Amino acid sequence: MAVAVIDVEQWCTWFEPALAGGERRAIQFIGRAGRGKTTRMLVLAARFAQSSYTYIAEDEPCPPIPWGKPILIDEAQRLPRAARSAVFSSGAPLVLATHRCLARTLARFGYLVTTIRIGAQNHEPLLREMVRRRIDASRHREGPLPQLSAHDAAQLIRRFGTDFRAIENFLYEQVQAQCYSHGEMRFID
Amino acid sequence: MAKCDLSIELDDAERVYFGGEKIAGKVHVRADANVQCSGLEVRTVWKTHGRGNVATGTSEAVTVFTGAWNAGEKVEYPFELTVAVWPPTYHGHHLNIDHYVEAQAKIPWSFDPQASAMFLMRPNNTVGVPISPASAAVSNGVVQSIVAAVAAMFMLVFCVASAANPIVMVIFGLIAIAVITFWMVRVVLPKYRLGEVSASLDQATFAPGDAVAGKLSIRPRRNVTINGIELKFEAREQCVSGSGSNKTTHRHVIFETLQSLSAPTTLSADQPHEFPFAVEIPRDAVYSIDLSDNDLIWSANLRVDIPRWPDWRMDLPLVVLPAVGGGDAIRSPLEHQTASPLAADVAISHADDSVVTFEETAKHLWKVRDNPDAAKMLADAVTGLSFKIQATLERRLLYSGEDDPHVYPNGYAIWARHTEPPLPLVIYVPRELGDEFEQLGEGNWEGQATVVGWDRVHRRLQIKIDRP
Repeated sequence: MAVAVIDVEQWCTWFEPALAGGERRAIQFIGRAGRGKTTRMLVLAARFAQSSYTYIAEDEPCPPIPWGKPILIDEAQRLPRAARSAVFSSGAPLVLATHRCLARTLARFGYLVTTIRIGAQNHEPLLREMVRRRIDASRHREGPLPQLSAHDAAQLIRRFGTDFRAIENFLYEQVQAQCYSHGEMRFID
Repeated sequence: MAKCDLSIELDDAERVYFGGEKIAGKVHVRADANVQCSGLEVRTVWKTHGRGNVATGTSEAVTVFTGAWNAGEKVEYPFELTVAVWPPTYHGHHLNIDHYVEAQAKIPWSFDPQASAMFLMRPNNTVGVPISPASAAVSNGVVQSIVAAVAAMFMLVFCVASAANPIVMVIFGLIAIAVITFWMVRVVLPKYRLGEVSASLDQATFAPGDAVAGKLSIRPRRNVTINGIELKFEAREQCVSGSGSNKTTHRHVIFETLQSLSAPTTLSADQPHEFPFAVEIPRDAVYSIDLSDNDLIWSANLRVDIPRWPDWRMDLPLVVLPAVGGGDAIRSPLEHQTASPLAADVAISHADDSVVTFEETAKHLWKVRDNPDAAKMLADAVTGLSFKIQATLERRLLYSGEDDPHVYPNGYAIWARHTEPPLPLVIYVPRELGDEFEQLGEGNWEGQATVVGWDRVHRRLQIKIDRP
């Protein structure tokens, strides 16, 4: 997950009492699609050796949810009632990515909840750094890398808003279209 | 979305049921909203799955409830149904046959919630089975009638079309020449050289363990030299998928033995030459099954090799059925009937579980774990077998899915790994052993457990701890 431009240490610190077996604590990431909820989940999952990550697919039976420290559940708003009850009553530290706020439900199960709304943080410098890391991770050989200018980043955000997934998909197509040309990479025509 | 959930609990899910027996259990209904049910039907069915077109049959269906359920209501309905007498449970290469209890709630203007529970069935010949020598004879007669009808139609069309257009006459003539040539090469020429040839079996129906005996008689008109006579005795799965021009036949030989009836020799003219033969059917043989596009066929193929001349061939059909008296009269035919060809690779036998260890099974599964179909097939082959197992516990499941039929009531599911190879496992633990496993934490566990399936999503073998 070296590509992700995310600092998780602040959340890890906040989780410490829960990981030590004290109080019940949960983090919920709320945001629309493409803003980086799953990226944050995967970074956190990699950070904790005992973590368990479960993705709840749409219109499919809920998969088994293993215990973990913490338990990470992506698309948690899709949890069926029985599964939600089983997970929330476990008392394990929770990290949820959701489109719907689950703070009240978590509070009923005795959880102290931190809600992080994803999207507002998706600004130009973050986009430029994210693109730089993506290109760097995909490079085949040493040499100078094409850079996304501040002007292009601002233009992309004007066009796609904070939906970084859509921006990534757009840039992917742009790069693929120019990968056999010998001119300078142009991210925006 | 369905307004209610159904689940089926069999009174004895681990039992192997005989055909014609009664299977009992309960259908659990949990209503999420107020529901008007126009009929909660429970039925015993069998279905084929594999390469062939699906065949299915219902043994008995009963409606156990009609009326309304209120939101949040949980109710259960007991049932007792008759198990189909045929076909038996079979897990093979192209063909699988399974028996289920199915429940379906008919909800007007909504999806009908369904649930099913699988069980194993072994045939019981005391109640009779559909395949019999009589039916085989009838089917041969039917085939001959169809061939005669097609020939008559061909001639009729030929006459009418030839009168209308001479080119059609040429095309039909070429087709007729091709058919006649094939018939000459396959039937007439070998018979011309060998003279009177006849072959028969002493009987048409056999049980596993029986000896198939028969005789080939040749009375040539003149001296004839042959390279030899061979008997190929085989059992094969034959499944048909698709239909019309998109029809494909899949064959897989599951048993084959060759027997030489004669070395190279010269058969003297006008003298009868008899070649008796006898082949033993394995005691754990599969039964003959005829389910339209899904067949298990036993046959004895005779071939007389004539040098520089078309060989004479004949297929002698036979039927293998459970011995009279059912499963007790023969040594557990279901043991093979439920085993797949992959199971044969690891020499698995239900009759003697000690033959194969869990280590061997785990090794084979570990090799094929990235091939979902092969892993599933191998897991199916060992499903129902009880092993002594050593595993390292990893983590318990907080939620194992309401659809998971393996979870003990109020029991637990735990992810674990076999020691060597590190095959991932799901262990289903009964409620009374929950504390013991809680204390073990992530330690090692050793105990007796039964294989119950394969988790395709997480590539884990599912095992259920045997209750003490």
